[in-house]
Amino acid sequence: MTATAIGNSLFKVATKQKAFMAILVMLLGMVFSRTDFYTAYNLLDMLNSTSILLILAFGVTLTIISGGCDLSIGGILVVAGILAIKLLNVMPMWLSIVLAVAFGAVVGFVNGFLVVHQKTEPFIITLGMGLLLTGIAQQLTDAHPIPATNPDFMVIGNGDLHGVPNLVLIMLVCFGLSYALMRFTAFGRNLYAIGGDYEVARYSGIDVIRTKWLAFVISGAAAGLAGVLLSSKLNTGSPVYGETTALVVNCGVVVGGTSFAGGIGGIPQSALGLLVFGMLDNVMNMLGIASYYQVLLKGAVIVTIIWLDCFNQKVKREAV
Amino acid sequence: MEAAGADVILSIRDVCKTFPGVRALDGVSVDVKRGTVHGIVGENGAGKSTLMKILSGVYEKDSGTVHFDGQRIERTTPHQSMQSGLAIIYQELNLVNTMSVGENVFLGRFREMGGMRGTHARAREILDSIGCKVSTGRLVSELSVSEKQMVEIAKALSFQSKLIIMDEPSSSLTGEELVELAKIIQQLKEQGISIIYISHKLAEIFEFCDVVSVMRDGRIIDTKPKTAFTRNELIAKMVGRTIENEYPPRPQCVGAPLMEVRRINTRKLHDISFTLHRGEILGLVGLVGAGRTEIVRALFGADKVRGHEVLIDGKPVAIRTPQDAKAAGLGFIPEDRKLQGLVLPFSVEANISMASFKKFSRLGFIRKSIERAIAARQVKALKVKTPSARVPVRNLSGGNQQKCIVGRWLEISPRIFIMDEPTRGIDVGAKYEIYVLMKEIAERGGAIILISSELPEVLNMANRVLTIFEGRITGELLPEKASADEIMTSALGMGRGAA
Amino acid sequence: MQEMNSALGAGTPDGSVAPGARRGALRSTATLAQDYLVLVMIAVLVLITAAVEPKFLLRANLVNIMRQFGPLIMVSMGMTFVIIGGFIDLSVAGTINLVAVVTISLIQPLGQVPALLIGLAIGAVCGLLNAVVILSSGALTQAEALFLTFGMSTVFSAFALLYSHGSTMHFWDIEASKSVFEGIGGGNLGPLSVSFVMFLSCLVVLWIFQEKTVEGRYIRLTGGNKTAARLAGVNVSRAIVLIYTLCGFMTGVGAIVLFSRITTAAPVIGAGYETNAILAVVVGGTTLLGGKGSVVRTVMGVLLVILMSNCLDLLNVSTYLQVAVKGAILVLAIWLDNRKRV
Repeated sequence: MTATAIGNSLFKVATKQKAFMAILVMLLGMVFSRTDFYTAYNLLDMLNSTSILLILAFGVTLTIISGGCDLSIGGILVVAGILAIKLLNVMPMWLSIVLAVAFGAVVGFVNGFLVVHQKTEPFIITLGMGLLLTGIAQQLTDAHPIPATNPDFMVIGNGDLHGVPNLVLIMLVCFGLSYALMRFTAFGRNLYAIGGDYEVARYSGIDVIRTKWLAFVISGAAAGLAGVLLSSKLNTGSPVYGETTALVVNCGVVVGGTSFAGGIGGIPQSALGLLVFGMLDNVMNMLGIASYYQVLLKGAVIVTIIWLDCFNQKVKREAV
Repeated sequence: MEAAGADVILSIRDVCKTFPGVRALDGVSVDVKRGTVHGIVGENGAGKSTLMKILSGVYEKDSGTVHFDGQRIERTTPHQSMQSGLAIIYQELNLVNTMSVGENVFLGRFREMGGMRGTHARAREILDSIGCKVSTGRLVSELSVSEKQMVEIAKALSFQSKLIIMDEPSSSLTGEELVELAKIIQQLKEQGISIIYISHKLAEIFEFCDVVSVMRDGRIIDTKPKTAFTRNELIAKMVGRTIENEYPPRPQCVGAPLMEVRRINTRKLHDISFTLHRGEILGLVGLVGAGRTEIVRALFGADKVRGHEVLIDGKPVAIRTPQDAKAAGLGFIPEDRKLQGLVLPFSVEANISMASFKKFSRLGFIRKSIERAIAARQVKALKVKTPSARVPVRNLSGGNQQKCIVGRWLEISPRIFIMDEPTRGIDVGAKYEIYVLMKEIAERGGAIILISSELPEVLNMANRVLTIFEGRITGELLPEKASADEIMTSALGMGRGAA
Repeated sequence: MQEMNSALGAGTPDGSVAPGARRGALRSTATLAQDYLVLVMIAVLVLITAAVEPKFLLRANLVNIMRQFGPLIMVSMGMTFVIIGGFIDLSVAGTINLVAVVTISLIQPLGQVPALLIGLAIGAVCGLLNAVVILSSGALTQAEALFLTFGMSTVFSAFALLYSHGSTMHFWDIEASKSVFEGIGGGNLGPLSVSFVMFLSCLVVLWIFQEKTVEGRYIRLTGGNKTAARLAGVNVSRAIVLIYTLCGFMTGVGAIVLFSRITTAAPVIGAGYETNAILAVVVGGTTLLGGKGSVVRTVMGVLLVILMSNCLDLLNVSTYLQVAVKGAILVLAIWLDNRKRV
């Protein structure tokens, strides 16, 4: 095999398994600079900070695999969190949590209506929805974080079970559930079909509208759950996390190998993609990189990965 | 309506289907007997795929009756059709590329199969029964065409199909793969499954089929056991058509060489070289997928193709983009006018003027009055039927839309005019007008490369024909001297120039 | 010809205007209605607010409205071209941040005019970078452009943060003359504010570009049908470079007007401009599908957005709720825009 052939196949692997490569690079880098990266404490801490984003990613993955996307998750996140905290004052904790998640599901339902039933372009209409919700969030809190009145609430986001943080456990449960959903149920497999080829899926008798619609509902509910957990962790309802979260999570999912084209990817890939960002944050902190450089690096990573995704598709398209 | 005999699995009577501007099916009637392999032959545009799509539920017939397995079929969907035992394997395969083989076989039936394990296990069984060794876990995108076909066959079998329609199954198969397919067909027949085999490849028709029907102009012309046909007779019936005053007299002004093309090589095309003369209409004839459009796209710089040479008037010209082509004097009417040719929401005027900016702009500014005059001139010259030039071009009928594209290029008088299916989906009157136009272009010294799936059109308009088969030029014939049969034979890869 | 066609019998349509015509007529009535809808809404909003809150008609308030035009209208006019071309630009916030902090920092060392010119150049360069990224990746759709430009926004914002070390710079920190900027921010030319005059001149130039030039038409064709445009010989790549560079430049102008008005430049002042600009463009009636639209429509859209903010302010509606309302209107506008296509 010539040098160019080897180079070509390495390039192919690198562009296909971008998340894996990125993580590998970071892991190797850490071996040489700060080995205390490899402590259980640090790794758990890293997982903990990324857990909420991971839960968001699991929900969004469903919509992206079926050929859409959901940029309203940031807005759902903040409103659900605030809702949970406000409702704590008037009802038992479990009920306020359930209602917050249900709120997310309702927003997801509206998204589904607009995107699937009305056949609107998903990316910008969910962006608009996110904006709407962010505004509502700020209105509800008057831009001041509102503290929770129920001390038990804090435990969810901050406690741990035998050293493993609750958030990580919840995230793992969500991981398991969504993985099973996508891999082992008809619903999940149908989502892949719809994203892979809408018409073929329709001709095969799959109820494309209802299935894709449900994906949005689940994405909304997941965002609702994430919102509750975030509020619990911070012990306040804060309107801060809005817009950029949505874009970062959607990008992270693509980074992991779930393409916007639909039909490709899955929950483990999305997890990997978000971990790239989580790890990037952690690594940059450990290396003492100034926060502004961190922002720069993150932006550069996002552009590079999406660029590679587009470039791959271009090469496929222009192959003559 | 006489009841179909018990040995008839599919009975079609007087089925008609019209699309805007085209009468695709004009009273199709045929019976397919159980347990037979029934071949259907016909050239491009005869109506075969329309008929199949009606049977499978993608389209709805306008009139006529269809009886399948004793039941009358009305208003069905592709899924229902499959479930009732009628399966189709399309030329453009109906699989989800991003999913595995096993899942594609049971697409939408995941639960009934008992999840992944059941799906893959049962898919494995079916694939084994047709001798296909592809692993059920592989992604469909990685498979060869022949393997994909087997997956489709497995899909059809999984529905306990009684009738399987294969639309051009062998168009992309190698010799060995064809042998495999033959075995499978034999197997299916032994299991009592009936097959409709649509193909251009007469060798296979004669080999596999028991009965053959010839389709032409939206009708089934003849149905006989294959032994009652000779190959020549088949071709004659596929092509035969009395040609009256549908065409203007052929232009007779072929002059000196104008353009020389050398060695276009891509994944699909092999060593394409030819010469084009002044005043000549050169026809490219071949089956769908033979590579005709790829050749002209390479010429026009529409696809990224390198390594070939183009000489115009003896001088080499580098054409890398459509702009280069335009500057070199080429014009291009693309195959799909709606997706590639027109900007549908824009006005007739804007669509006509969009290639001639140099003519109606000065120092980068548009001179609206000249643009308007250009559009008006073309509308008048081509007799485009539109209430005004400011109407959105999507309102016009197909023929008039096509005229807008022709007018767009005529305005800059290209010396070499490439036309890819210029009269597709156009009513007869507009077609004639376009033929007259082509004649005028040739008589003024321009040259036309004409791609058309309607053989009579090429036979009547072209001075010279190149037949393309599987990416190669297999023949060069003169319609004035050669017969339609000869040209068709060459296009099917069976002529003297065939590999 | 007509007789011959109809003589050919059923199923052969005559060559005249097809049944699509009737649909087409309905569709254009809808577009017409939508155009006037925006104007009507503006009128209604003005009337209602003037009735409820007479303060609205005070000269000070009207001047205030004119002033607010500055930054958003500039950015939105630039964004219009990107959207007409069939793409989108989410990087305007980052560009504003970068242009603002760099320009203000250069007034002292280089003088205000060079600083101004450099600021504009930076805006254009940011736009150019966007175009390069998009072209080199082969991105064809709005969705891909959305994510790529979002990434670029983060990069530009990061540069702004790094350059300024996160600090805000104020006019009162600068000893050198800032008269040009002060003029832009608060000066008057006769009865009109300088920024309003700037806006008017930009509008005229951009409108001429959009309607009367070949490049403007190329942009429209690219947005209408990239494939057809390309096959007709339009240089689609050049059109893409133009739309993003122009948007970047106009964003630079907007940034300068912005920090001139508030006399400070923080590396985060651009926040929210991308959504506001897109909102203004969509509400004004330029379709996200590309190919159609006008800067004039966008001006109406911005007017509507600003008037709405103004009215809601006077009615004591909180800013946050206003953000929510904007989001709701965006969703509504896109939904309706989409229905036009279907």
